[in-house]
Amino acid sequence: MEEKNKLPDENPLKVNRRHFFSQLSVGIGSLALGSLLIPDLFKNGPEALTVRPLGIPHFAPKAKRVIYLFQAGAPSQLETFDYKPTLEKRMGEDLPDSVRNGQRLTGMTSGQERFPLMPSAAKFRQYGKSGAWVSDFFPHIARIADDICIIRSMHTEAINHDPAITFFQTGSQQSGRPCMGSWMSYGLGSENKNLPSFVVLTSRGKGNSQGLYSKLWSSGFLDSKHQGVLLRAGKDPVLYLNDPEGISRSDKRHLLDQVSSLNKLHHVETGDDEIESRIAQYEMAYRMQISVPDVMDISKEPESTIKLYGEDCQVPGTYAANCLQARRLAENGVRFIQLYHQGWDQHGNLPNEMAGQARDVDKASAALVLDLKQRGMLEDTLVIWGGEFGRSNYCQGNFDPKNYGRDHHPRAFSIWMAGGGIKPGITYGETDEFGYNIIKNPVHINDFHATLMHTMGLDHEQLTYKYQGRRFRLTDVAGNVVNDLLA
Amino acid sequence: MTLNFNKRWADYIILSLSIFFVFCLLFESYIAPPALVAWLGQWHPVLLHFPIVLLLIAIVLKFVGTRIPPMLLTVAVISALLTAITGFLLGLKSGNKGDLLYWHQWLGAGVALTAVVWYYLERTGHGAHRALKGLGAVLIVFIGFAGHYGGTITHGEDFLALPGSRQEEKIPDNPLIYEHVVNRILKRRCVKCHNPNKTKGELLMTSHDHLLKGGESGSTVIPGDPDKSEIIRRLTLPDDDDDHMPPEGESPLTPDEVEILERWIALGASDTLRLDHLDPTEALLTLIKEMMEPDPLEKWALLPDVADSTLQHLNSDYVTITRLAGTTNAVRVVMYMPPEYDPNHILNLRPISDNIVEFDLSGLPIGERELGLVAACTNLEWLEIDRTPVTDAAMDTLNVLSKLRLLKVYDTEIGDESVPLFMNWEHLEKLFLWNTRISENALASLKSAKPDLSVEDGITGDLEAFFVAEDSIPKQDPPQIP
Repeated sequence: MEEKNKLPDENPLKVNRRHFFSQLSVGIGSLALGSLLIPDLFKNGPEALTVRPLGIPHFAPKAKRVIYLFQAGAPSQLETFDYKPTLEKRMGEDLPDSVRNGQRLTGMTSGQERFPLMPSAAKFRQYGKSGAWVSDFFPHIARIADDICIIRSMHTEAINHDPAITFFQTGSQQSGRPCMGSWMSYGLGSENKNLPSFVVLTSRGKGNSQGLYSKLWSSGFLDSKHQGVLLRAGKDPVLYLNDPEGISRSDKRHLLDQVSSLNKLHHVETGDDEIESRIAQYEMAYRMQISVPDVMDISKEPESTIKLYGEDCQVPGTYAANCLQARRLAENGVRFIQLYHQGWDQHGNLPNEMAGQARDVDKASAALVLDLKQRGMLEDTLVIWGGEFGRSNYCQGNFDPKNYGRDHHPRAFSIWMAGGGIKPGITYGETDEFGYNIIKNPVHINDFHATLMHTMGLDHEQLTYKYQGRRFRLTDVAGNVVNDLLA
Repeated sequence: MTLNFNKRWADYIILSLSIFFVFCLLFESYIAPPALVAWLGQWHPVLLHFPIVLLLIAIVLKFVGTRIPPMLLTVAVISALLTAITGFLLGLKSGNKGDLLYWHQWLGAGVALTAVVWYYLERTGHGAHRALKGLGAVLIVFIGFAGHYGGTITHGEDFLALPGSRQEEKIPDNPLIYEHVVNRILKRRCVKCHNPNKTKGELLMTSHDHLLKGGESGSTVIPGDPDKSEIIRRLTLPDDDDDHMPPEGESPLTPDEVEILERWIALGASDTLRLDHLDPTEALLTLIKEMMEPDPLEKWALLPDVADSTLQHLNSDYVTITRLAGTTNAVRVVMYMPPEYDPNHILNLRPISDNIVEFDLSGLPIGERELGLVAACTNLEWLEIDRTPVTDAAMDTLNVLSKLRLLKVYDTEIGDESVPLFMNWEHLEKLFLWNTRISENALASLKSAKPDLSVEDGITGDLEAFFVAEDSIPKQDPPQIP
């Protein structure tokens, strides 16, 4: 009995070799010295970490949840939001070396002898009071120009998909760190205990695709309850969630109670915190048996909503369906809703492929913003649309205006954000006349993460997790909040 | 008891420093020290710690009756004189001496010269024991006040203020832009060094007249021309520039604060301009309105305390109660539809009704009793009762919610009777109101009565038509090679 009452933290098995040695070396002297060495001890700065309770924002947040419309494969900024008339005038000329300035190339164009400039296949027009430039590929997004904030000066260090998308998700090009959604779940907790706080929805266009892997929604070294849950299209959104035939809900309850008591015993024995996570996840799954089918069921959505998102939204697994689903999940308190739409990797046949990709996402993305706006959800939901890097202003492969391609380009690309404390109706940042280098207000991925966290009420320098002897942040050791973007 | 002094050199040093110092004080207005001598003044902040500590030790020893080591007193007195002299040299540089500096200088001089007298009495054994103790007490008072005034000069008037006591006054509804906004920024960031006591660069920033008069680098403010105004030039220099203001180590102005100063100067830097004189499109208007919006955490500091255990107790699988930020007592409550709806989930929240600032009851079959609880949440700023069976009568009970900023009532059965309610809530900023029974006339009258209120009445008209229409992405028409 006594054994049972022991707190898991005091479990003798929890002392490992490291603990032992560190205990050994601690004396009054080293403690005193240690306190002298804390660099911020007397600094008039933010409060100590321990004062900040987890699961609560550090300051009053503008955004309570995020819907991230990730365009996997990297849509070209030159055919979306970054209008460059110079490329039309100098079409076919080589990109001057002084502009490229030593930028490394991917293996796909490093053998190319020429780098002929290629203008956009789509025309550009200005929209809204802000006069934002949007290409003809995106007529619906153009209609919400005054609700969104276009950033044309994003930049990254990665030049290939996997490191770039990993960088965007986790703040590091090497995999293994927790991703944005997991950090938000860790920092802010769940709003609805019947649904995971981090949900992933994927869809795929006809364009050239790159893979998506579950590591992109992994919780890394954070507790596994912060991991993203992939909701699949179709009858079983979550695999193995439904009970087998012949098992009633009360049978299930009984089973769970028994398993849970066994697990608790095991937890007392080993002190492994993952066991607690496992118990919590079984319970969550039990409640999700009711909540998930409920949230996924769009049969009660009015005709006007279906029309708004487009008929596609009734076909499970399409981007439009995922957008509608994203709104429903946000309404139900999911903290971070991550959409991926594959097929934006246009190394060739860009004009046709991109038109197709745009047709997949344009209307539904804009409809989502409008729908959130009319429901007052844009007040506290942040929507983000964008890919992992940009595309080159020169043509990849044969120089053919009807069928050109663009290679990867890390130095400048465009994304947009809407709602959640971000200034609407502005275009931020600027690239040079070639659309190659940023000349005004660059926003690095770390800055983007810092700003995202700021809108959620989190100080990116304060939300940390200690692992393998040091504290980790989403922004690691960099990142500044871009105040100009905040409403 | 005579102290055993046998260091004649110390006597000479003390005598000569004293004479030099008294001479300085007497002929202050005739003194213009060469650069290198003036530079010695910079050592004042370093030296001043020595006489304070050494003299205090000596005085304590005197009081407890222990013999003062002669060398201690000697060094204490010499350091007091050196501090006074360097302080005098530093003071010369500041030109216009304010009250604080005046008192600091004479009290400092008092410390040094009293210490010399004490040294003399101890040295010669003339002073009665009791008189010497009295002298010590006087010294403590002098050191205390001189030190405090010195600290105030360096660190600002409120450097000893308790945490939280530095409250700024609220900006009134229609502020005078100079007095309530510009002056507030200057007070916060600049006045610490540009005040009558410490007039750096001969610039006073405590009044409108002085600000326009400028300082030694010329016109601080040129009305109508921010680009030529020294203040804007210095504020916008790169941080590492020596001329950048505020100097390194002081907290800089926020970009919004700089922009406010810039726009105010551009508009003529007047001290009679009020907020409602501004053109509606003027950038200054939004900037100031933003500044007038209080930090929510400050606003919520007045809410009654609520314990974590209470919140935890009321939390359930379908009701999520969280603090809005950090340790604030403002609470957000969200309820999701449980498999079996039970009004008690909401009615049980009465103990924390004063703490609920955000309440989300969207899509729940709430009745009058639940709305009664909502009406008891007098601090409510954010209410979501869209897609509920709320009625006009029930809405009327909510009229006490005077702090309401945002209300979602779309997709409900409310009608025109609720419209006067929306007009009454003076803090209401955003209203989501589509798919109700409210008539177009009533909606139009609401919009004209409250032009600042943002009323969302759904996706209609052209926008709706554009989205409902068939795919409108045009066929591609690739650019031609010129």
